[in-house]
Amino acid sequence: MSTDVHTLAGAYALDALSPEEAAQFRQHLDVCESCRIEVREFQKAAAQMGAAEAVTPPPDLKARVMALADRTPQLPPRTSEGPTAAPATGSTPGPTPGPGAGPDSGPTIASIEAHRGQPAGTSRRWTTWLAVAAAAVVLVGGGALGARALLDDSDAGLAAAPVQVFEAQDAQTATVETRNGGELTVAVSPSRKEMAVDTRELPALDDEHVYQIWSVQDDGTTVDVAILDDPGSGAAMGLPEQGTQVAVTVEPKGGSEQPTTDPVAQVDPYAV
Amino acid sequence: MGSDPGLRLVRSREPNDVDALVGRVAVGDSDAFSRLYDAVAASVYGVARRVVRDPERAEDVAQDVFLEVWRKAPSFNDARGSAKTWILTIAHRRAVDAVRRNESQKKYDGRASVDEVTREEPLDGLIEAEEHGAVRDCLETLTSLQLESVRLAYFNGYTYPEVATLLDKPLPTIKTRMRDGLIRLRDCLEGAR
Repeated sequence: MSTDVHTLAGAYALDALSPEEAAQFRQHLDVCESCRIEVREFQKAAAQMGAAEAVTPPPDLKARVMALADRTPQLPPRTSEGPTAAPATGSTPGPTPGPGAGPDSGPTIASIEAHRGQPAGTSRRWTTWLAVAAAAVVLVGGGALGARALLDDSDAGLAAAPVQVFEAQDAQTATVETRNGGELTVAVSPSRKEMAVDTRELPALDDEHVYQIWSVQDDGTTVDVAILDDPGSGAAMGLPEQGTQVAVTVEPKGGSEQPTTDPVAQVDPYAV
Repeated sequence: MGSDPGLRLVRSREPNDVDALVGRVAVGDSDAFSRLYDAVAASVYGVARRVVRDPERAEDVAQDVFLEVWRKAPSFNDARGSAKTWILTIAHRRAVDAVRRNESQKKYDGRASVDEVTREEPLDGLIEAEEHGAVRDCLETLTSLQLESVRLAYFNGYTYPEVATLLDKPLPTIKTRMRDGLIRLRDCLEGAR
């Protein structure tokens, strides 16, 4: 990273960096205490500037917010600074290679796959990816429109809609920090034999890229699960067999047959 | 008596109010969440309105902000800053994300000119009037390039390369002006307390 990285503190506090630059800068923050202090102070000043724009919202907003909160589980507290306590193999800090990263960028799903020589898509063992609920509410407290739709039509018949997984009685949730500076929250419901991902905290991508979800079997085989055209919707899916992990990568628009970048997150559903 | 504006000012100056409420929200206290909403909704909605402009989309953003606050309150760490800063940082990031999602369809549609950015919009007069005055005074201490850089980024959701293009300045200049502008704003606001 260039020597003038400190000067990015201002743009960072103003949310004026691209997702990639913001992720890089966050890595720098891990090792630069004076930068952390400066960012904190800048965020405070920016917040005061924002608060000076206060406008009373329409009165019905509060009722919607309260109703949604009432049906939305809270995340567990983090037990320490830094990466969350949630189990995830993909949450270690490190540079996030973009699409087209070189072959020497460490062990990747793609390289494992190449080694195995498995043809793509021949081993689809996840039984039911019931919904990448495009129009829906996907996650707990999903996008505002979806959430309204849920309230209006609370039994939309999507057995695996992510919100239902998140709301299951026995749902276990975990949040992992992704390598590109976002968060991925996973819910697992053993009784429903389903899991769901809340993808709303993944950094926005440009027009040319999408997030793609994969299952990674214990023999390294990767299978395409879903392309997230709209990360605001999250996804629900059948719970995979033990030993299978779930990974998220950044892929060129339209998705890839096999992962072409390192996962930004990888989660073992059985460790959630 | 219930409409005595003095009461509001006293309450809004109570520094630990929002922090204490978030602490209670962290353990699932929905009454505290209701009060937290009352305390910060205008600020959250105001940021969303300024950035995304469309009132309905601003409401959607504000709703998502409050749900994120509800979900994440258990991991809020006050050693990293005040709860109100935390909430407004979330609000701004979500508002900017909403604008950028929309912009992927049509970019540079002339949505924001520099003239528009410096326009003052009417403020809700009741809330934290003193703080508003301090912010306005302090923004006046910035150079015009610092001010434009900060405002185009914060209020219009432009990235710094976009700001550099709009203002026709080199990238390093804009990066530096944003930081210098925030330093001035920070120092001035701290002096104002």
